[in-house]
Amino acid sequence: MGRILVVDDTLFMRTLLKNILFSGGHMIVGEAENGDDAIAKYQELNPDLVTMDIVMPKKNGIDALKGIRTIDPNAKVIMCTAVGQEQMVKLAVKSGARGYIVKPFQAPKVLEEVKNVLGT
Amino acid sequence: MVSVPVKIEDRGRWAVSKLSIEKDGLKASGDVNLDIPYRTIVDLEAKGNILSITAKERENQPYRLASVEKVLNVLKRQILLSCSAYRLSTFFMSPAVRGGVLAQNAAWEKGGIAVLKSGIWFFSQDHQICVPLADVASIELTKREVQGKDLDVVKVDHIEDTEVVTSLVLCPLTTLQVLYNFLKESTKSMDMDGAELDPKSAQVAMLVYSGMDTAAIENMLSISHKEVDHIYDALIGLGLAEVVVIRREVKLTTKGVRYITDATKV
Repeated sequence: MGRILVVDDTLFMRTLLKNILFSGGHMIVGEAENGDDAIAKYQELNPDLVTMDIVMPKKNGIDALKGIRTIDPNAKVIMCTAVGQEQMVKLAVKSGARGYIVKPFQAPKVLEEVKNVLGT
Repeated sequence: MVSVPVKIEDRGRWAVSKLSIEKDGLKASGDVNLDIPYRTIVDLEAKGNILSITAKERENQPYRLASVEKVLNVLKRQILLSCSAYRLSTFFMSPAVRGGVLAQNAAWEKGGIAVLKSGIWFFSQDHQICVPLADVASIELTKREVQGKDLDVVKVDHIEDTEVVTSLVLCPLTTLQVLYNFLKESTKSMDMDGAELDPKSAQVAMLVYSGMDTAAIENMLSISHKEVDHIYDALIGLGLAEVVVIRREVKLTTKGVRYITDATKV
């Protein structure tokens, strides 16, 4: 089971993801609501995995992913995308994302992707 | 004329037969007599190795044929090319995107699109793909990069095994506009009729989609059971949800309390 940092600008989505991940036995070590906050929390908490929203204020998910990968090239980041953002997914994968989940979330899919990326 | 081996459903049993694919229709004779002119066919459904063909004169009693995939593909293509449907020659890509990510091996295919009573069919020499109208989530006239150029396409999203699957149709803009209008009209029954959900109801709907049960929804949104019930009623009323289980909440009677008290005595 992993120590996970949840990054999303909406409280509702963070709460939903936390509930899903907690139900899968994971520990939520922190949450962030923008890209800058995500990079700072990553440095502070050193989580096993990050779930990262793409569209966020201040610094978007792709830039935050790049920032985190600069600090830790082995960082495991799963991008959260909305339907229709397939171009963003391509960009995220090029930037080092290990996986993606699509909004609206479905609990089994989220847990399956987390399991795949964590390699557990 | 080509003759193919099929089984034809006849009064609850499957009869082995030879089906002739003729210029103007499908014909069989022998144990079961069949004559289906293509121009009378208004709907086509494929489930596994069974093909249901609905003809005008017996709309409530479709013909059902079973055969191997290769034969069914020939039949489907022939029917789609000649039946009574809104039909266009197009390039299409289906599926183009599955679950938000580009489908592997997605490629533009030269073929056609046929809109029948219950589904949109994309068909080419090698493939026949059906998108049931009831599963269509959205239809949009948009642009996609094709060979380095931004071209107009019609994007059809549908739900398949809980995933959103996108198909794209490419043809001249004037034709696309007609196709878009026709598809919008064909799927009008799925529109929300202007009744948008309030933010709380939308959150409840999303939580239901995510697999949360009623207790989890109450906890997450800090709302009462009564309020969740009220929102469920609204979702059901709008045709957005359906009841799958009615769960009871109980409290123990005096007898029950006594039983538990006794049971936990050391």
